[in-house]
Amino acid sequence: MTQERQDQLADGSYEFLAIFLEGLPFIFLGTLVSGFLGTYLPRGAFEKILPKNNTLAVLISGLLGAVFPVCECAVVPVIRRLVKNGLPVSCALAYMLAAPIFNPVTAISTYKAFNNSPEIAISRLAMGYMIAVFIALIVARKAHSFFLKTSVKTENSDEHQHPRNLNAALNNSLRDLMDVGLYFCIGVVLTAILKTTVIDPTDDFWKELANNSIVGSIGMMFLAFVLSLCSTSDAFIAANFHNFKYGPKLAFMVFGPMMDAKLIFLYSTVFKWKFILFLFIAIFILTGALSILFETKILPGWMSQQTEIPLAP
Amino acid sequence: MTSLDTRLFGFLACLWGGLLIYFYHSTRIRDYLDIGFHHFIMIGGIGMLILGIYSLINPKSKSNRTGNSKSCCHDHGDHDDKQHSHDHNDCHDHGDHDDEQHSHDHNDCHDHGDHCDHDHEEGHGPFITIFLTLTPLILAMTYTQDKLSNGGMAKKGLYEKPALTSANLPPFTRQDLEKNVPKNEHGEFQLRMISAYYAAGDLEIQGIFEGLPVELEGRIAPEKINNASGDRLRIFRSIITCCAADLQIVGVSLEFPEETNRPQVEDWVKASGTLTFETVDADVLPLLQIREVIPAEEPYSEFRRRQ
Repeated sequence: MTQERQDQLADGSYEFLAIFLEGLPFIFLGTLVSGFLGTYLPRGAFEKILPKNNTLAVLISGLLGAVFPVCECAVVPVIRRLVKNGLPVSCALAYMLAAPIFNPVTAISTYKAFNNSPEIAISRLAMGYMIAVFIALIVARKAHSFFLKTSVKTENSDEHQHPRNLNAALNNSLRDLMDVGLYFCIGVVLTAILKTTVIDPTDDFWKELANNSIVGSIGMMFLAFVLSLCSTSDAFIAANFHNFKYGPKLAFMVFGPMMDAKLIFLYSTVFKWKFILFLFIAIFILTGALSILFETKILPGWMSQQTEIPLAP
Repeated sequence: MTSLDTRLFGFLACLWGGLLIYFYHSTRIRDYLDIGFHHFIMIGGIGMLILGIYSLINPKSKSNRTGNSKSCCHDHGDHDDKQHSHDHNDCHDHGDHDDEQHSHDHNDCHDHGDHCDHDHEEGHGPFITIFLTLTPLILAMTYTQDKLSNGGMAKKGLYEKPALTSANLPPFTRQDLEKNVPKNEHGEFQLRMISAYYAAGDLEIQGIFEGLPVELEGRIAPEKINNASGDRLRIFRSIITCCAADLQIVGVSLEFPEETNRPQVEDWVKASGTLTFETVDADVLPLLQIREVIPAEEPYSEFRRRQ
């Protein structure tokens, strides 16, 4: 084995362990919550909580990340159980896609990363929310069989009940941990391989993409997909792509938390693969279009010049 | 899930929890995650261990609770293609259920010979889950060096030029520098690496830092920029938010006078000298002209958190 291959193997192992170690406790927390929700939350509870108007329910669900902030890894097992317990899929999807972006932690980190610039943070949160809600409203018109895996479909209230005790809650948690942990692990393996063998963000190829906002946005979304960063930290990475304008940077920060190499495997615990493909394409097109729109029509009015990462000796 | 499945999954949860606790206890976690996450790793590890042990010693879940149990007692874990394979007349007794828990009539309400869409937990079995998760973990534990190679660090920006900063930054003056940055015993500013690095991207701050006596602390790497003679080295720090995946490495080139002792690559040092800036291929880069380099005690974690 050449030295380069040995280094790639070591670096890939390092990247894998870093993401796995960081993500696993959050997955565990998510599955613990999901196990208890699945056991103790009464069937039909959401019908009482959510507005009867479906559009309004989706709009509110997209905002829930501000109250219940959760990262993109932990949210998947939670919504998986909530859907089983009767949460409308459109609401679950709005929360799942929006929460990693539309939450205070991400807002503050984006604000800090972009030199205390509220414009970028607001743009990011607004884009994330709009895309999540738009896709959720489309999904609301589709039959569940189009996107939900059989095992995740809502249980009918007239079916027999499962026990509501600690034992059942822990068993549900264990089952969820194993299901989601497996796909998380596969996703992290793929991420580590891509990051160490295919993608080099410092390569001239990426820098040259910056000359064109459309190509740059596409490139940055692809990069976000491969890098699989947390939504709380990706703004600092985006801010350092100094050749790129704001549109591609926004595309990076909005696309990544909704769709990346590890997330597609986590999503596969809830959704069918054909729906994940639909989700990928929809998020890709909407993020690309909105980021270009922000850069050409909205941001020029907000900002007179580009700012970058803050400097404080 | 069967009892065996639950035990095997519990065993795997113990291994995952044990892994987290091992990384925390051995302090290897400091090479992977920001220090703010370390206790969370410990708590997550203990939680998974408890869940795993509980499942090992108490594998009977919602199934097999007979007698006075209020629950539905058949197993939903191992069905495939949504079919009930058991006979509801023989498998369990409905006589003791109360209505709140098991209110339906098995003869009338729904047909178990056809599709029923309640929770069938169609996840993968324990053996495939154990194989697919432990294999990459064992391989990663075998091959990791607990750090990136030089090529890996280059991908994280070790040899990148600093981003241009903007006039939107708050004004920064020499008085701010004197007020906020401590000095060593030689009167040199103990500047943060990231400050020296990003100064190259801001003309105003460059003007303040140019010719400044500074001390930088960090690890030594080979220099690949403007180093045809091979005399230079690079000092760097790793900036992190969560984990090594979001690592950014910032470095400053070191130029040594002939009589100065040169550190070895990988050494952790304090490098003192005069900070200046050079233009290489139209890029402005920071350069430290060395007065002396002394070994320094490594910090608990060499990651510096983004602020």
